[in-house]
Amino acid sequence: MNPTFGSILIKVLAGALQSSTILLFPTLGEVLTERSGVLNLGLEGLMLIGAFFGFLGAMKTGNPYVGLLIGMAAAAAAAAILAFICVTLRGNQTVTGLALTIFGTGLTGFYGDRWVSQRLATAIKPMAIPGLSRIPVLGPILFSQDLIVYAGYILVALFWFLLFKTKAGVHLRAVGDNAKAADAMGINVVGTRYFWTILGGALAGAGGAYITCGIHPYWLNGITSGRGWIAVALVVFAMWNPLNAFLGSFLFGSIEALQLQLQAGGTYINSALLSMLPYLTTFAVIIVATVIVRVRHVGTPKELGIPYAREER
Amino acid sequence: MLRFEKRDKTPIQLRLLVPAVSVLLGLLVGSVVMLFARVNPLKAYGAIVKGAFGSGYTFSETLVIAVPLILISAGLCLVYRMKFLNIGAKGQYIIGAICGSYLALFGPATLSRPLLLTLMMVLGMIGGALWAIIPALLKVYWNVNEVIATLLLNYIASYILWYFMYGTWGTRGFPLSKNFAVNAQLPRILPAPSRLHIGLFFALAAAVVIWVIIRKTRFGYEAMVIGENERAARYAGINVVKTVIIAAAISGGLDGLAGIAHTSAVLRLLQLEINSDYGYTAIIVAWLAGLDPLVAVGVSVLLAALEAGGYQIQIVMRVPFGIVGVIESAILFCLLAGEIVTHYHIRLTRRVAA
Amino acid sequence: MDGQEQLMLVMNDITKRFPGIVANDHVSFALRKGEIHTLLGENGAGKSTLMNVLDGIYYPDEGEIFIEGKRVNLRSPLDSMKHGIGMIHQHFMLVDSLSVIENVILGLESQGFFVDKRAIAHQIEAIATRYNFRVDPYARIWQLSVGEQQRVEIIKTLFRGARILILDEPTAVLTPQESEELFGILREMKSEGKSIIFISHKLNEVMSVSDRVTVLRKGRLIGTVDTAAVTEGELAKMMIGRDVLFRLERKKAELGPEVLKVEDALAYNDRGLIAVNKLNITVHAGEIVGIAGVAGNGQVELAECITGLRRLAGGHVALKGVDVTNASPCTLASAGVNYIPADRLGVGLVPNLSTIENAMLRNYRKEPISKGAFISYAAACTYTDGLIKKYDIAVPLQNAPVKVLSGGNMQKLLLAREIGERPKLLIAEHPTRGLDVGATEFVRSMLLEQRNNGVAILLISEDLDEILMVADRVAVMYEGRIVGIVDVDSVDVAQIGLMMAGSTAAVQS
Repeated sequence: MNPTFGSILIKVLAGALQSSTILLFPTLGEVLTERSGVLNLGLEGLMLIGAFFGFLGAMKTGNPYVGLLIGMAAAAAAAAILAFICVTLRGNQTVTGLALTIFGTGLTGFYGDRWVSQRLATAIKPMAIPGLSRIPVLGPILFSQDLIVYAGYILVALFWFLLFKTKAGVHLRAVGDNAKAADAMGINVVGTRYFWTILGGALAGAGGAYITCGIHPYWLNGITSGRGWIAVALVVFAMWNPLNAFLGSFLFGSIEALQLQLQAGGTYINSALLSMLPYLTTFAVIIVATVIVRVRHVGTPKELGIPYAREER
Repeated sequence: MLRFEKRDKTPIQLRLLVPAVSVLLGLLVGSVVMLFARVNPLKAYGAIVKGAFGSGYTFSETLVIAVPLILISAGLCLVYRMKFLNIGAKGQYIIGAICGSYLALFGPATLSRPLLLTLMMVLGMIGGALWAIIPALLKVYWNVNEVIATLLLNYIASYILWYFMYGTWGTRGFPLSKNFAVNAQLPRILPAPSRLHIGLFFALAAAVVIWVIIRKTRFGYEAMVIGENERAARYAGINVVKTVIIAAAISGGLDGLAGIAHTSAVLRLLQLEINSDYGYTAIIVAWLAGLDPLVAVGVSVLLAALEAGGYQIQIVMRVPFGIVGVIESAILFCLLAGEIVTHYHIRLTRRVAA
Repeated sequence: MDGQEQLMLVMNDITKRFPGIVANDHVSFALRKGEIHTLLGENGAGKSTLMNVLDGIYYPDEGEIFIEGKRVNLRSPLDSMKHGIGMIHQHFMLVDSLSVIENVILGLESQGFFVDKRAIAHQIEAIATRYNFRVDPYARIWQLSVGEQQRVEIIKTLFRGARILILDEPTAVLTPQESEELFGILREMKSEGKSIIFISHKLNEVMSVSDRVTVLRKGRLIGTVDTAAVTEGELAKMMIGRDVLFRLERKKAELGPEVLKVEDALAYNDRGLIAVNKLNITVHAGEIVGIAGVAGNGQVELAECITGLRRLAGGHVALKGVDVTNASPCTLASAGVNYIPADRLGVGLVPNLSTIENAMLRNYRKEPISKGAFISYAAACTYTDGLIKKYDIAVPLQNAPVKVLSGGNMQKLLLAREIGERPKLLIAEHPTRGLDVGATEFVRSMLLEQRNNGVAILLISEDLDEILMVADRVAVMYEGRIVGIVDVDSVDVAQIGLMMAGSTAAVQS
């Protein structure tokens, strides 16, 4: 194999992994939120909130990791609004999610205005794992990343294990599939839905904050540019399984990295069409995934989007 | 502990009270957000009101914004009643603007003004309708979630516009088309500098027509039955596929019309920023109006005032425009939260000691 | 009367109100140790409400509950479980996508964070063996038959150490043979000292299985009696408040020409499995053909195929000799095929729309309601008024959503709408499910009246008694086929029961 081509490929794939981590966190969070029966369409807004408050926190504290945590906390708080309206007050989940996106866009646009284009002094930096990073090919791709990418690996495994191998996972799936049965068995339906919605919000925030505290350490209005919606679509692609969420995110990270590489390389392909590529692919993938899910009857939480009311007759 | 008990029917006062309180609370949230940024909310709201209603000119500018909102929200009232959650007005608006502008920029110069304008509007409507039919087809045949599909199509539409503006439609490397010829400019109806145009009459007509469709026609009834209970609709012999596609086409067509009318009458050229975010604002309008297209006319003017005022305070007071989104979303949050009181009595009960 | 210490459970003066009705009005109830106690009453008598109070799903507005003499406060199903109460609901509280093991441990605090599947599987098998049945602990719920699912429910309550078991109409979904097996399990539990509350409105079961009976009517307690000391007739009178007719007046069918002919019909269910398997049936004008069978054997899919709501993958449907295979619901409706679906609010009616908008659902395309592309709501209103008067439907407000009507009035509206259309073929699916005695009698007599007017009727019901009461021929459906068809006058109930369970011996004989 041509050595220069190989090194470029490794670089692209390593970049793809970073891009995919931005998508991985919100997708993982939404997998769990939707498993509990709550449809959170506000990911785009939550990612923006995470991105902005993460950036602001990193700016004020000087520590990008603290910034990331602040971004997560802010997004979790915003997700709590959705949980209150959709779980306690049984409001329309689709429209509430949309309102959350408008809210996140507006709020960060308002407060972020005077921070536009300012850069962080210190951003999250890669930390190669000793030993593992020396494995040929895989080392530079997988193990020469930053802590957040590694956290992503761990979360994928952790959530998969939690969902399918623990009691908490059984409860979570029960609440999303048959809330009435879960309630009758003494599971706290409302509490479960709140918990996973807020946690999903925090993860969406982490995805957003990873952009501004790590990959692109500056603030721009609307910096997430639709990734929240791609994450919503990836959940269907992932068939509500954390392992597939990783695959899906990586696929899209690769498309994005490839697209950037092609644009930087000055190919003859129009840059507008290249920028459209991730959305176009998502659009195609969501169609295929929906058809597969329908034929195979896998994954979809049965009561997704349906509020639960105990004392109704 | 909160307890909810189902209501048999909703008193009319409540149906009015909830939106009214929602607007007030939305403004309150906006104030709190402004206070954190050390902006005086009273001054800001004063400036918004002045910026929207202060003079004949500013009010006509408010109406300029209201026109696309009325057009789009009318169509949304129809499809939302059918529970086809079209979030893609933005994309349909853009595609409508592109299709109509094609004729304005590259059409035969010999066409008379009325004919050219009619063809532009029709082409815009067809473009918007086609862009809405794609997700409708995917929904009825493969059950693809229309919210995600229409949203992705918004981004795709934006990049299509980008493609043309940085490509052959731009001038001298700038993403601006050449100015439309006078024949391709939709007439304005007030003396300059007002930009209010005859699209206002299209919008009012659309609101009335959609109201009649919803309230008086078989098609409106069928759409409503589909929205409330699709299985019952099939059982009643309603052609669900046909109804959903036609309704989506109507909604998309109105969005496309809004796009080309605004571009042709107000901007008079095609550019990257063609105010396509009205597609999102209109969703709030439709919801706030309780999916009634006539009520939506009034709500459109209200939110148009907020937007027009928002542009003003950004220029005059340097208050970022994002505040408009905060207020709009807060109103929507309150409305969604408030819906529960129209369906349930809420009782506060005390927990009995064990 | 026994002393307090012999009583397992006492419910004193329980009152539970819902908006507009008092579901339980000062009801008292006592359960002894080691007895099977039936709670008897019509639909809407308040049995389920009382038991939901005991299960902690509803909290009573007034009244006290004692378990083994100790006052308890049951705020949630979890509280009730801790006090040894286990309820088996009519609609099973099982999560379809989870395995038996996962369902059994659902909500249990005693289990650790990780799931030790093997240990739990052993315990499940041990419980099953004790009561002489089998269940695969690793199976997913949707793979099990309804009878098996019920056993999972029983295991679930026993696994939690329940001493009081509540079964809400458990035999409604079982074949007569499966019901007998269930009674065997219940008697075994009773001999171990467990107390069982059995909710039912089927008198023959009540007489055979229970020690005592408590009767409720319209939310009030009528009385508690020893089963040995009463007759079926006396219980029926307590339950309904008057003497009941056990048979409807019925004249001999006058068979007209063949209306419906289904040949080799093949159809799939929503999961893509074969639901209707090479099925053949004919219905003539002026006769009622009853389709008996345990729920889920393809009855719903068959009805949907005939009404155009589901595609036939093979075979033919003919209406009066004309082929209508896979015709649209619209075409079939105008050809005179009318349908009373089992799922009233899910298919037959639109819950949030008004009575008028529901009444016109089937004929808004016809004059005078339809005026070209427009609809005359005035004409629709007149039409609805006519139906309401003719069929005596209690509608508080014609513009109020139809979901506020009582179950009986909803069904009357649905029936009125379907037969008001002068059908040639009427398909009635569980037309009396969930109705009180008055409404049930009304529906059945309407069906007979239509039959006498020459309508061909296909009656799908789980209630064998209902089929025997109104049908002229009985067809038994099992796994998508008609396994036997007999004249109602020469019917052998035991044989039908065997056919419902798919016994080939019964079919051959």
